[in-house]
Amino acid sequence: MTAPTPHHFIALIEDACTSCLICVQECPTWCISLDSHHEEVSEPGARRPRTVSVLDDFRIDYGLCMYCGICVDLCPFDALEWRPRVGYQAEGRDDLVHDIARLDGGTSDG
Amino acid sequence: MIADDMLEVAVAEWAEAAREARDGGLPFLELLTVVDRGDELDVVARMSDASGRLSLGLMTRVAADAPRIESLAAVLPAASWHEREVAEMFGVVFDGHPDPRPLLLRGTAGAPPLRRGTPLAVRLERAWPGEVEPASRRRSRQQLPPGVRPEWLPGGSA
Ligand code: SF4
Ligand code: SF4
Repeated sequence: MTAPTPHHFIALIEDACTSCLICVQECPTWCISLDSHHEEVSEPGARRPRTVSVLDDFRIDYGLCMYCGICVDLCPFDALEWRPRVGYQAEGRDDLVHDIARLDGGTSDG
Repeated sequence: MIADDMLEVAVAEWAEAAREARDGGLPFLELLTVVDRGDELDVVARMSDASGRLSLGLMTRVAADAPRIESLAAVLPAASWHEREVAEMFGVVFDGHPDPRPLLLRGTAGAPPLRRGTPLAVRLERAWPGEVEPASRRRSRQQLPPGVRPEWLPGGSA
């Protein structure tokens, strides 16, 4: 049990996200989308290169999000978290789609 | 707990049950809505006392193919807007409603939007962002995206 937190915004902790798509697939309003690609990394001493998923972009459409918190609850890597933040007024509909650069809200501490 | 104090009544006794609750000290209508169960619709109302501490749920069932029930507007004027909303969202006809105009929508063309069988057009037009395999390779309904019901799809069944 954690203490109730304000339902303000969902922040993405980019380094924790593995692009597993769980949040995208479970979101009832279809408001999350992401782009990723695979890369091979060779580590010294490893017999063969490892394939890792690299996140290119991650978007939440706050025009559709209903703040249900399902994505935050289901992310296996704790890459999404509630963060109190104000000022989500937008000039237009498209401006409510927050991309990876905006999803740490400029208040990221991690 | 809502489940503990939900009183189920016959459709014919719906308005009478609301009148009894009103006269028995629960004069405020907090909610009137419908839950779509498939073959039947649950019509649900909740009434409370002045303090808001005591409340009672009333519930009855109507057939989903021709849902009809007596309006509570004569007993509880506050029911009027709730019933207009339920009428347009779920297609329920309220007999004796004093003002059965749509409340929020201009018209639903016989497809009440909150009924489970009414396809949500945007779910069929838009590509699901969670797609990893072509839709044709999905095998079971468990693999349908959230918010898409099998009966909306070509050849689907309820
Ligand atoms: S809070 Fe709910 S609606 Fe919003 S992005 Fe997460 S799962 Fe989707
Ligand atoms: S569930 Fe978590 S780790 Fe998986 S894609 Fe979403 S944010 Fe990234």
